Amino acid sequence: MTAKHTPIRVLTAVPICDGHDSAINTINLELIHAGVEVIYLGYHRSARDIVRAAIQEGVRAIGISSYNGGHVEFFAEVIDLLRRRGANDVGVFGGGGGTITPSDERLMRRKGVDRIFFAGTPLDEMTQFVRTTYATPRRRARASKRAEDPDQRLARLLTTLKPSAATARGLPLRGRSARKRPRVIGVTGPGGAGKTTLIDELVLRSLGANPAAQIAILSHDPSIVGKGALLGDRATMIYSQDDRVFMRSLATRGHAGGLASVTRRCLDVLRADGRFDVIFVETVGIGQESAPFGSDQVDRTVFVMSPAYGSRLQLQKIVMLDVADVVVVNKSDLAGAKTAVSELRQRFGRRATTKHVLATTASRHGDPGVDELLRLVMTS
Amino acid sequence: VSILASVIDSVRGYGRFVERQVRQARTDARFRGQLMRRWRSLHAGIATTTTPTGLVLPRLALPQTDEPAEVARYLFGEGPPGEFPYLNGAYREMYLEQSELKTEEPTRLFAGLGLAEDSNARFHFLTRQQRTFRLSTAFDGPTLYGVDSDHDGVFGKIGEGGVAIDTVDDMQRLFDGFPLDDTRFSASMTINAPAPILLAMYVAAAKRRFGPGVVARLRGTVQADVLKEVQAQNEIIFPLEASLRFLTDMVEFTTQHMPRWYPISISGYHIAEAGATPVQQAAYTLSNGFTYVQLFRERGLDVNRFGPRLSFFLDCGLDVEYLALARVCRKIWAVGMRDALGADAGSQLFKLHTQTSGRSLVAHEFQNNLTRTAIELMLACANATNSVHSNSADEPFTTPSERYVRLAAHAQAVLLEESGLFKHMMNIFGGSPGMQILERELQRAILDEFAEIDRLGGVLAAITHRYQRSQIQAAAHRYESQIYDGTRPIVGLNRYRGDDESQSLPEVHVVRTPRKKKQLQVERVKRFKKRHARQAGRALDALATVVDTGGNVFAELIQTVEHCSLGQITARLHELVGHYRPSV
Repeated sequence: MTAKHTPIRVLTAVPICDGHDSAINTINLELIHAGVEVIYLGYHRSARDIVRAAIQEGVRAIGISSYNGGHVEFFAEVIDLLRRRGANDVGVFGGGGGTITPSDERLMRRKGVDRIFFAGTPLDEMTQFVRTTYATPRRRARASKRAEDPDQRLARLLTTLKPSAATARGLPLRGRSARKRPRVIGVTGPGGAGKTTLIDELVLRSLGANPAAQIAILSHDPSIVGKGALLGDRATMIYSQDDRVFMRSLATRGHAGGLASVTRRCLDVLRADGRFDVIFVETVGIGQESAPFGSDQVDRTVFVMSPAYGSRLQLQKIVMLDVADVVVVNKSDLAGAKTAVSELRQRFGRRATTKHVLATTASRHGDPGVDELLRLVMTS
Repeated sequence: VSILASVIDSVRGYGRFVERQVRQARTDARFRGQLMRRWRSLHAGIATTTTPTGLVLPRLALPQTDEPAEVARYLFGEGPPGEFPYLNGAYREMYLEQSELKTEEPTRLFAGLGLAEDSNARFHFLTRQQRTFRLSTAFDGPTLYGVDSDHDGVFGKIGEGGVAIDTVDDMQRLFDGFPLDDTRFSASMTINAPAPILLAMYVAAAKRRFGPGVVARLRGTVQADVLKEVQAQNEIIFPLEASLRFLTDMVEFTTQHMPRWYPISISGYHIAEAGATPVQQAAYTLSNGFTYVQLFRERGLDVNRFGPRLSFFLDCGLDVEYLALARVCRKIWAVGMRDALGADAGSQLFKLHTQTSGRSLVAHEFQNNLTRTAIELMLACANATNSVHSNSADEPFTTPSERYVRLAAHAQAVLLEESGLFKHMMNIFGGSPGMQILERELQRAILDEFAEIDRLGGVLAAITHRYQRSQIQAAAHRYESQIYDGTRPIVGLNRYRGDDESQSLPEVHVVRTPRKKKQLQVERVKRFKKRHARQAGRALDALATVVDTGGNVFAELIQTVEHCSLGQITARLHELVGHYRPSV
């Protein structure tokens, strides 16, 4: 893929009350190998969740894999919701092995589905279809007289951003009256430490604590060299699939350091939008020497690690430990968590009073460590 | 020592024990004498049978040898059917005609479609000419995920792929007219994440019709295997820890109060359907089984009380491993339960239900599916499965139509009743060189998988490492690639493709639930909630107290379901324990 071509972004999902993810997993891999960036929402997802995610992510198409029946109604609901939210330029395709019959297919095509793949379709044919059908953005049919959907407007703006321009000043933001100044929280750490789960738990608590809270999430996943990317954080972030949360998944597209080249500009846009109380920025899994956030980009940085970092010597090498405001030892149910916390405190020595070291088990429902983390990043 | 490590040790140790017996049979005259006396008395105890063509045959086929070392290898290494280590079968006579020892009716009648009354009618249709009523129920998507039919966005799924059950009233309609209190009746329910709630509805519905005394007589199975949901099937709604607690509460209750109930069916079927190889299916299913045993023991339950109430469910496809896979599972389970967990004879049996492979069915020239299923059925019976379900040929498109359900059920009758393969002699295939080679290789490969899971810290730790999921996904990907590059032949698809006419998908009769019925179900659950609006809040509060104070949630659910729908109950439980977070 040359630099000139922006990769096609597609959202894939399995409908509500359906857990058949074997086919979609295979197709996701094939699409990625064909250079497509796939935002995977996971299984058991409502039409509402799918459409919200598609609009926020600015995808060109939605691929739905349905094996549990009710596909005629489900696809129709997705298309209807897209239209009602003014996103009729987003294509819809899908399949369901043998469960979708030829007569279903005719009906679904009439209702606006671009293509249904039957059992036995070669994978190449599917990837070729996506690459040709969605190669360029579709023209949007004239929107209704209603004001444009705020998620839609924000998402379109993010899609147009180019990394070259230095700031977002002068961006055409038609904000509403109530303007909020969001707190931006950068979350980083090695892969597998549980950053995604931790953010989702923070979102759950923030939404619960304040019924008017609105949250944005900027999440990053690595691109595969010369290919697309699997942006799968949404599938894990179950509480963040909410009308009060705006989430955007970015592929690094070869940019080093844990973020994408457009991250800075995306953050400027999200900050300027004026409706968010908090913005979480999640980096890809980083190495010891990385310090992804510039001090002007985020208000607080959280470094998340698991107790399994190796010897005490390893702690000396992690640059982020010196930069982060809060260091979280997640997965504190694992052996070695206590050792980790005390070794970290020792490493900080006299600074230990200003540097916060916390133990969390984000995977546990209602973990008090996560409560404490929210308090620290929001109030200190 | 971890549970899997001690199972590996006990199975390997048992292998060494067998070799010692073989050597002793060669070198120790006294031992040899005892052994051969046992062998002769075993032979003497076998009755004969006469085939319709006049051939006289023994009812049990044994190796044709009087070489003491070989006799020792057979008796200790395999065991005749019904004897430890049960390689050849859990029971002495299984499919034989006119058997007084017959313990199992192998045929299960699986159904589930539309609303409760539709499935009820299907059950009555299927059992019209049957001696026993062994009913097996499939539920629709909303029920499997614990949401009500009036839940936002699920309308299209009501009654599709299974029956819609929202309330105890629906459950009562589902089994209307069947003698739930009769020993010839059993109900099996394919339900996992909300299994305790659905079983509570079943118990409550039975009590309404037959009084409180019926509870101890209820017979049946709930699948309730949440570990395989996390590994393969994805129908899980509560975090794993909470799911396992609700399950253990249910097992504790049924062990004490419902002695004829099977509270869990440890399932490899969905693991295989998600793409696992036969070895992965066996290894994950067995390791899950040993993990459940360990969990229930940690609760303080006696392995010899709950052990006999564990049952298993495997897939049978067309790969060569399926000639012997379940046989090896039976042996590993017996040895592991006896030697690693100290379980007595009643808890060593790997009681197995087999279903033919849904994944092996193909939409193109779908009548070939009749042949595929017939071969799989034969493989399943060569493994001496205790019961079997054969899929319908039209399942790639639809909930089976009556025509193909009937043909599928008849396939079993043709195999077991018409054909002479299984009805005259028990163990007709056991001991063939090919089967023995497979058994040896499969056992080795399964133990290797155990060792890998054990290295990761056991089944639960391996799950957090996504080990089983990633292995299954990799195997699924390989399977698909093999179909596309033609190295895995699929007749009618990548070989012997017919003309365009036969390639076009057939317009089969598709079973769908009409819109009107879906609306009726939505109205029903709404009416139920309205009718019980006053009591529901109090019932849910009582349930919440039990959850918070560590009481038995299942015992309380039997009360809760009287006033609350499935979706109301799961919503409250979600507030208390959270949602399952998928690992992609």
